[in-house]
Amino acid sequence: MKTALLPDGLTRTLAGQVLAFAVALSLGAVIILLIDENPVTVFMTLMRGAFGDAEKIAGTLLQTTPILICGIAACIGLRGGMFNVGIEGQLFLGGFAAAWVGFAFALPPVLHVVVAIACAILAGAAWVAIPAFFRVRYGTNEVVSTILANYIAILLTSYFTIFLFKRPGGWSETPPILATAYLPELFSFSRLNVGLLIGLFLAIATAVFFRWASTGYGVTMVGSAPKFAEYGGINVRKVGFGVLLASGAVGGLAGGVETLGVHHRFMEGFAPGFGFDGLIAALLANGSPIGTIFTALFFGALRAGSLLLEVDTTASREIITVIQALIILAVSADLMMRRRGDRTGERRWKF
Amino acid sequence: MTFAVELKGITKRFGAFTANSGIDLAVRQGEIHAIIGENGAGKTTLMNVLFGLLQPDEGTISINGKTMAIDSPAVAINEGLGMVHQHFKLVPSLTVADNIFLGMEIRRSGLIDRAAQVERTRALSQKFGLKVDAQERVAGLSVGIEQRIEILKVLARNARTIILDEPTAVLTPQESRDLFETLRSFVDDGMTVIFISHHLEEVMAVSDTITVLRDGRVVATRPKQELTKRELVRLMVGRDVSFDRRPREATQGDAVLEVNDLWARDDRRLAALKSASFSVRAGEIVGIAGVAGNGQTELAEVLSGLREASHGSAKLYGQEITGHTPAEIRARGLAHVPGDRLARGVDRNASLSTNILMGRQRKAPFAKNGIINWSVVQDEMRALIKRFDIRARGPKDVAKSLSGGNIQKVVLAREFTAGGDMLLIDQPSRGVDIGAQEAIHDEIMQQRAEGRAILLISTQLDELKALADRIIVMFEGRIMGTVEGNTMDEDTIGLMMAGVDPSDVKEHE
Repeated sequence: MKTALLPDGLTRTLAGQVLAFAVALSLGAVIILLIDENPVTVFMTLMRGAFGDAEKIAGTLLQTTPILICGIAACIGLRGGMFNVGIEGQLFLGGFAAAWVGFAFALPPVLHVVVAIACAILAGAAWVAIPAFFRVRYGTNEVVSTILANYIAILLTSYFTIFLFKRPGGWSETPPILATAYLPELFSFSRLNVGLLIGLFLAIATAVFFRWASTGYGVTMVGSAPKFAEYGGINVRKVGFGVLLASGAVGGLAGGVETLGVHHRFMEGFAPGFGFDGLIAALLANGSPIGTIFTALFFGALRAGSLLLEVDTTASREIITVIQALIILAVSADLMMRRRGDRTGERRWKF
Repeated sequence: MTFAVELKGITKRFGAFTANSGIDLAVRQGEIHAIIGENGAGKTTLMNVLFGLLQPDEGTISINGKTMAIDSPAVAINEGLGMVHQHFKLVPSLTVADNIFLGMEIRRSGLIDRAAQVERTRALSQKFGLKVDAQERVAGLSVGIEQRIEILKVLARNARTIILDEPTAVLTPQESRDLFETLRSFVDDGMTVIFISHHLEEVMAVSDTITVLRDGRVVATRPKQELTKRELVRLMVGRDVSFDRRPREATQGDAVLEVNDLWARDDRRLAALKSASFSVRAGEIVGIAGVAGNGQTELAEVLSGLREASHGSAKLYGQEITGHTPAEIRARGLAHVPGDRLARGVDRNASLSTNILMGRQRKAPFAKNGIINWSVVQDEMRALIKRFDIRARGPKDVAKSLSGGNIQKVVLAREFTAGGDMLLIDQPSRGVDIGAQEAIHDEIMQQRAEGRAILLISTQLDELKALADRIIVMFEGRIMGTVEGNTMDEDTIGLMMAGVDPSDVKEHE
């Protein structure tokens, strides 16, 4: 009976997103002009840097992997109504834990990887357990506590690296891990490894879990209508705790994959911003794990493309950060406008 | 004679759907004109056309005898119309005065003159008898006060004809009475009030003339004196609807729920439920009557496990349920239709199937080994749509796209088929159309006939009179007394609801 007879949904979403990208790219072009570069050249270089040849594509996928896994970690939290901003910290601790297992123990090939990954997962889960406990027991805002936990985690791993496990020599890094703990590489020409497959599998598994599992249904309900879930007999606190723990575990996994697959050691500040990029990728995908595959790929392409940008043009890679920020602004403005058009107007996630 | 508002032949279509069809409406100056009809009858569309929010496809609008096109609310406001919407549009962080003058701020040398705004607000408040504190922030004010602010907003824009869309939906009975007095005083001042409602009692109580809409058409416009409540219902629904006591057979069995000296606190940690004791037997409907906020909500929450009892016991089939989780209590046979339907009863943004799955997401045949079989859920929802006559296109409809009555039917459908034999039903027909209300009552009687024990909490005496075998009256958290449903006398219950002891009531007679 109301006016909402427009065929809303997909068409509107896609049109909005395309428009948002167009606006962001034109603003980016203006900024590129301001630094006396040709926007077309810059964008073409970016594209070439990200997708120019097989090696470049592999490089993009290599950057995509940690963003994707961190994005899945964020999706898990978002679906359960929890905003885990501490993925960055969980990634660092997970990365360190995996490296430690990698260099301190000698284990048979496959087992070594499994144990190292398991320790990374445990480290991520343990790190989020503290804010998670305060959240469900005392109602502390998890956004604040997980952000703060990031600083501690990053500095703690720096301390471990510099003072306890430093490799003899100049760099602030641990000794290299044993070859038995390496994640297998996919191609001979790139460091791209099975981590990408782990990420893709995780995205699909998470999507399936939320769509078809009874437990996944409970988590979704707690996230979208907590009072309804409570009334329906779901233990809201238990689910909230479990969701944060799972989210942290996947964050830890991301660190483990990065250490075992790419760097083969733990370096101080080894993965700057992957946790935050993952969170943003998940938000742009509106909490959908499958959608996160694509948003993560987009961020990965920007990161990889920016490498060639520095070589081939006078633009610095910081310009990529600017374009990224513009895209995020434009896309979230589109999201906000769509939410405002919604009659009931309530936000699905409150933060 | 000139009318304050005259609509002729208004037709408004949305695609293939005709919301208003050839509507004639003439509102005399200085009257309260009620527009009544069920949800979806076209009341709100009509008012949006009048107020310039929608453009009619056909027909003309005259205001004070002047025919004109109202192509925006600004034009309507200019012509002295004012609209108070059903959902208030106030800024919580601003003060009352700031809200009233939002968009038409009083300025002095380019800056907002707050003192003058407060002064004007006080003057308006005094003139129209709408008590507000001009400098208070809106956040934290009761809905009754918020509505006063909305009305003051309209008055500050010099409205002489005020349109109110379902103004009482969110008010307590006391607040509603205050509102009606205010409306009456407006009319005494020569203003005109158009009042949209689907609530019979208040329309009969407050209006001078009543226009009934059904399916987008005017079915009648008559002075109130020429209408009875029964006639009004027939005009609205298009058939006779009975509010009489439902015929019933004595089917009472053993006690299912036994409550003994039960106490509970409200959210402010004050005692809200005080020493309640009663029982409900199989095949019996026990009603709980009382003005909203007298402990009924807390009682329902304690019984369903959503609130802790501070003292006392409640036994379901002889087993203690206080101190147990909602899931455990459900497993023992309680089904619960919550009073706060939109927050508790459904996920508004989810599909009907998703909503119906709650509580059975681990049970066969809906799930096996923790995997949901959505096609079984969809089939079940389709069957429930049919059985409960839910007006929806299908199981994938989003809950919030349904009307209030149909959302309530979804909740009833889920709870009545959940397998529980103790039904706790809180406000089954709040905000529900009369036609749907009748269907809901039929379903509750059916559940009684099947031998279920039913605890029915309602603030509407009519409803309890029609359904309950016994009525327990609550006041300030205490049970004032119990009345047999077939011999109930509304005056006695009314006095008990106001806190008068029943033994005193008898002495008065």
